[in-house]
Amino acid sequence: MSDEVRVRPLTELDIDGITRIDERITGRYRPDVWEQRVGYYIRRDPDSSQVAESGGRVIGFMLGEVRGGEFGLEEPTGWLEFFGVDPDARGRAVGRSLCEALLTYFREKGAHIARTMVAASDADIAGFLAAMDFVPAPLTALEKRIS
Amino acid sequence: MPTATLVLMSDEIHDLPAAYHGAVLHWQRHNFPEYARLTEDWERFFPKEPQFCLCARLAQNVPGGIEVGDRAGQPKATEPKDLDPEAAKGLLGIIRAQASTEFGSIQQHQQTLARAQDPTDQAWVLRVMAEELRHGYQMIHLLTSADWSPATDQKPADMVEEILSMKTGSHVLAAFNLEYDSFVDNVVFAAFIDRVGKYQLTMQKVNAYKPMAASMPPMLREEAFHLAAGVIPMRRWAEAAADPDALITMPALQKAICKWFPRGLEMFGDERGGETNVKLGLKDKANREAQDLYVAECEQMLDDLNRRHVRARFTRLSREEADAVYARVKVDRGDADGLSWDRDLLKLPDRGFFRRRGEFAFQPIGFSGERFDDTEHYVGHVRDRLPEAYLASLDVKHWADLQRAVSGGATALKDAIKSMPRLARVGGACPCANSVRWVMEIPEQETAGGAKPKQ
Repeated sequence: MSDEVRVRPLTELDIDGITRIDERITGRYRPDVWEQRVGYYIRRDPDSSQVAESGGRVIGFMLGEVRGGEFGLEEPTGWLEFFGVDPDARGRAVGRSLCEALLTYFREKGAHIARTMVAASDADIAGFLAAMDFVPAPLTALEKRIS
Repeated sequence: MPTATLVLMSDEIHDLPAAYHGAVLHWQRHNFPEYARLTEDWERFFPKEPQFCLCARLAQNVPGGIEVGDRAGQPKATEPKDLDPEAAKGLLGIIRAQASTEFGSIQQHQQTLARAQDPTDQAWVLRVMAEELRHGYQMIHLLTSADWSPATDQKPADMVEEILSMKTGSHVLAAFNLEYDSFVDNVVFAAFIDRVGKYQLTMQKVNAYKPMAASMPPMLREEAFHLAAGVIPMRRWAEAAADPDALITMPALQKAICKWFPRGLEMFGDERGGETNVKLGLKDKANREAQDLYVAECEQMLDDLNRRHVRARFTRLSREEADAVYARVKVDRGDADGLSWDRDLLKLPDRGFFRRRGEFAFQPIGFSGERFDDTEHYVGHVRDRLPEAYLASLDVKHWADLQRAVSGGATALKDAIKSMPRLARVGGACPCANSVRWVMEIPEQETAGGAKPKQ
């Protein structure tokens, strides 16, 4: 098996690989959740979301797309929404390769800015995003519990 | 999260001239009445997504130079007259066949759309049908927006009339002449036959005729969802089939695969051919090369479905343990922990199984590649692997009769390959009235075709 990492657009046959990575990270087996999400991104724009594979196996994924109008932000924005890397594949720049592929695609689709959100407690993800030159946005995420 | 409304598209949008646009809508009223429900379903099932547009879309930024074949490096043709004459004829045949598949699949899906058990699965297939209608519209745009006289004497209106007059049983490719037996066919068709469509569209991205090449990226974006509309319900069914009380079982899915996979293989054309299309710059792969990739992808799909089934069946096992059980059973072609390769898991038939066209046409090759000396044993072998309802169809009877005739020497192979269950290629005029054509004459001032601003 080749160790080479190949990044390519997401397909419907990647659901199992993504579910497996999610299970390894979160400990939860959630095939239905990933079927819904993958179905959504494929319907919206199948060229946007990306997976990384090595030796015929999915080792990372990043789901996102270009939209405008979110939160009153009319400019076309590349939204980076879900991603994960197989713990065994960490240290191989898989996340960076995926992120660069999405950002390149976002640029091709006319977006000049990419946005995402990260949980304040998630230092690993925040560190990764900082390494990818994401900086705090002049927006505040607010929430209110309603039940 | 507030709904996103802006979707960036770089496609050029075209409407057909009114006569052709009206003909497609007229065809839709007869063959796809559920289309009227699309807007309502769209709001419910695809609320964040741009509304459906029945229009032709041409991608921008398509390479200007021919990418493969004898004319590689020369500018792509923007008119049929600029193509090599043989390429123009070949391309016209491809466009007509493609159009036939688009309208044909709607006729097939429509037969059993109402029988879906799950409203989401049904809405997904409804969307697939609408997008197939758009793909058919796209092919009619290609046929009617240029002068094809270098390739045919037939007028554009007559070409469109011929396409819209086809019915299940008289389409160009066999896969579009099979009737659906249940909603299982809607789903398995999307997983297997739309997958061939993906390969054909991908191969045609290099097409030497620029409007054809520019038609492919928008169609491929939609085709990606069509595959998901097949695989995702099949994944859920494979999981549910682990329950002994399941309504849709693994053997039922296996039989549907046996019905569709051989027809999918034949959609690539004869395994020994296709080089001419590459030479002429119409596609970038010959038939066998593309078919090999398709088979590998189908294998991957079945591994995915089987793993989901095994995981649901052995809930006490971890993912790694369940995957190991599946891998062992697959390698041994045997049984493990009550899981049987033969009985419980999905498998691809051998490429020679139940074939009517191509390299293996009418060769008595069984499901696992075994050869049969006795024709009746072979017919029985195939029969036992097909869905019960399908066995009663004209299509299976036609095949069995031909298989016997070819094996017995009463019919030449070349004649059997050409034979179709229903020979009438043109099914007739619009059923509203026998004297009415689908394509109606419309005064010049009422025509509305042409390019629209980019969306």
